Amino acid sequence: MSRTLITNARLLCPAAGLDEPGSLLIENGEIATIGDVSGAAETTIDAQGLCLAPGLIDLRVKTGEPGAEQRETLETASRAAVSGGVTTMVVMPDTNPVIDDVALVQFIANRGRETSKTRVYPAAALTMGLKGEAMSEIGLMQGSGAVFFTNGDWPVADTSVLRRTMAYAASCDVMVASRADTHALSARGVMNSGARAARMGLTGLPREAEWIGLARDLLLAEATGCRLLVDQVSTGRSLDMIRDARERGVEVYVSVAAHHLFFNETDVGDYLTYCKVNPPFRSEEDRQALIEGLAAGEIDAVVSAHDPQPPEEKRLPFGEAAFGAAGLETVLSALLALVQDERLGLLDALRSVTAAPASLIGVPQGRLAAGLPADLILFDPEKPWFCERENLLSRSVNSPFDGRRMVGRVMHTLVGGETVFQR
Amino acid sequence: MSIPGYSYKFSHEHLLSIEDLSRLDIEHILDLSEEFAEATRAGKRPEPHLKNMTVINLFFENSTRTMSSFEIAARRLGADVIAMPVAQSSVKKGETLIDTAMTLNAMAPDAIVIRHSASGGVKLLSRKVDCAVINAGDGTHQHPTQGLLDTLTIRRAKGRIEGLKVTICGDILHSRVARSTTLALHLLGAEVTLCGPATLLPSGTEHWGAARTTHHFDEAIEGADVVMMLRLQMERMNGGYLPSQREYFRNFGLTKERLSRAAPDVTVMHPGPMNRGIEIESAIADGEHSVITQQVEMGVAVREAVLKLLAGRRV
Repeated sequence: MSRTLITNARLLCPAAGLDEPGSLLIENGEIATIGDVSGAAETTIDAQGLCLAPGLIDLRVKTGEPGAEQRETLETASRAAVSGGVTTMVVMPDTNPVIDDVALVQFIANRGRETSKTRVYPAAALTMGLKGEAMSEIGLMQGSGAVFFTNGDWPVADTSVLRRTMAYAASCDVMVASRADTHALSARGVMNSGARAARMGLTGLPREAEWIGLARDLLLAEATGCRLLVDQVSTGRSLDMIRDARERGVEVYVSVAAHHLFFNETDVGDYLTYCKVNPPFRSEEDRQALIEGLAAGEIDAVVSAHDPQPPEEKRLPFGEAAFGAAGLETVLSALLALVQDERLGLLDALRSVTAAPASLIGVPQGRLAAGLPADLILFDPEKPWFCERENLLSRSVNSPFDGRRMVGRVMHTLVGGETVFQR
Repeated sequence: MSIPGYSYKFSHEHLLSIEDLSRLDIEHILDLSEEFAEATRAGKRPEPHLKNMTVINLFFENSTRTMSSFEIAARRLGADVIAMPVAQSSVKKGETLIDTAMTLNAMAPDAIVIRHSASGGVKLLSRKVDCAVINAGDGTHQHPTQGLLDTLTIRRAKGRIEGLKVTICGDILHSRVARSTTLALHLLGAEVTLCGPATLLPSGTEHWGAARTTHHFDEAIEGADVVMMLRLQMERMNGGYLPSQREYFRNFGLTKERLSRAAPDVTVMHPGPMNRGIEIESAIADGEHSVITQQVEMGVAVREAVLKLLAGRRV
């Protein structure tokens, strides 16, 4: 029996509302005892007062595997992940080939087990080839380990297809994640619509595209009884619409990308393509509304929206560059910056990346409790650092945080009781 | 710059956007341009300021007028000019803009004049080269020499910019000319009104210096000292942005009758090429108020001034 003892830690468990000094004992990869632990262990880690919390569960990660391994593989993404404190990654199905088949779901799960330092769960395609035409084998893929179903960056355009697919998904009791968007309104856009885009001569991504898409998705969730995860809201008004749907009894959950809590449209600056993401950075009012929504518990999960893009996709004129930002290594620091600013409690910040996403996908980790997997991080919530792309571990380093001062850093990461990262 | 004890130095490495310039910078360029314009009118050749220098014209979008204007300006100052039309370049073969920039940079030119279809494309390229870069139009963002030549043309016609009422009418949304000219005029104290159909008039134009916007041309033109018409791409008039050419002409075309609402000594401008009968009546384009050919003339003078100020400044 292997035992690891972590002593002298500040124990943080959002699910239990726990924030107190103590120790934690790991036995055979599981959490054995929490609180005042003593006794013999093969390994003892003196946390020296660092925070000990469940590892992060990231519901939106893209890698290039399979099909675009030059961007990122599950293995390279996992190296970035564990250095950012992420111990569970849910990977998106928009790969080549698209993850729309039982064998491919199993392939991702197997590759994750074989190569990744983190746990890896596949999200599967909602429609075949993500074409938005024919529903995928939702029930079979669920049985093979798909944790939810999504059309990824290409929400289903045909509303009748979406309606039937959501009705079917509801009967399988699976969650459907959908990015709120209206393709016809946003097809040519590259940054948030408005005065800034007009001045820069760039085509806008209008907020209305998000609201119209969101209204549709919420109405269909209400009509079909399908559990809906609204993937990456970017505006304050979207939260109003979701609040209204919840009052009507719709089972709807919301995620927000960490970078949307940190940046607004002015950060695009002089056509900085690292700040080209979709949904785009919106106005400062929207950013503030998202922070308030998170603090008020209206946003369930914060995701990295990790989307690695190599230089040849980013070193282009803004309009021609790819969307996407690397995010695995900055999601925790982005949240801790809000904690530093007293916009968010530490436990609330952690809940959005641990217990809350865990319960959305039905996995046991994400809490400090006896018998659960020992996926743990030790972090210093105040440690300052510089985010420099040269030092990022992701294979693609397209981080909008490049060059920024950050606060809060992961010092030690364990998955299943094993140390996978140490700073 | 006649303030005693004050010395002014043009300090820019590139000309990418009017947004980068101060009022003083603009006035300095205009003064210098005016000297070049006068010399040309007097039949004098300017000093060969760019002797032994190489200027590359890199036009990713078709252009006859602007490219010729830059070429003539550079040659008048004694430079060797290499034109690189995109159709013959490796860009068509998939080379990226940055690779093109680094390749040209290795040939050590003294200035590169660039037009590119992407907003911000010229700025991106300027980061990768050691010589002066002059933006000859980037997407729907900026066309700074056009903004300067429009301002100079107005200053010569009116003797001043301060306090003038200028109306710019047409496809504001897709116009880099509108963005550059509006800001240049605003910096020099003009009061600019932007006018166009709702589909082609973006929000937030106060950030480029516009005093007001309207969808009603009759209202916009009332008492205007200067009216500038913008070119409307034909493909925007087939139901996408506008119902038809004739409806556009009725609401936004410059007719004699409309022009009578402007100031009696109104100046009429157009950056060209014109759609006669769609934006502007032929009789007005060729009439006594029109300074359209002077705009072309000032274009060469402004480009001479800009090249003189920038070429050969190693970054």
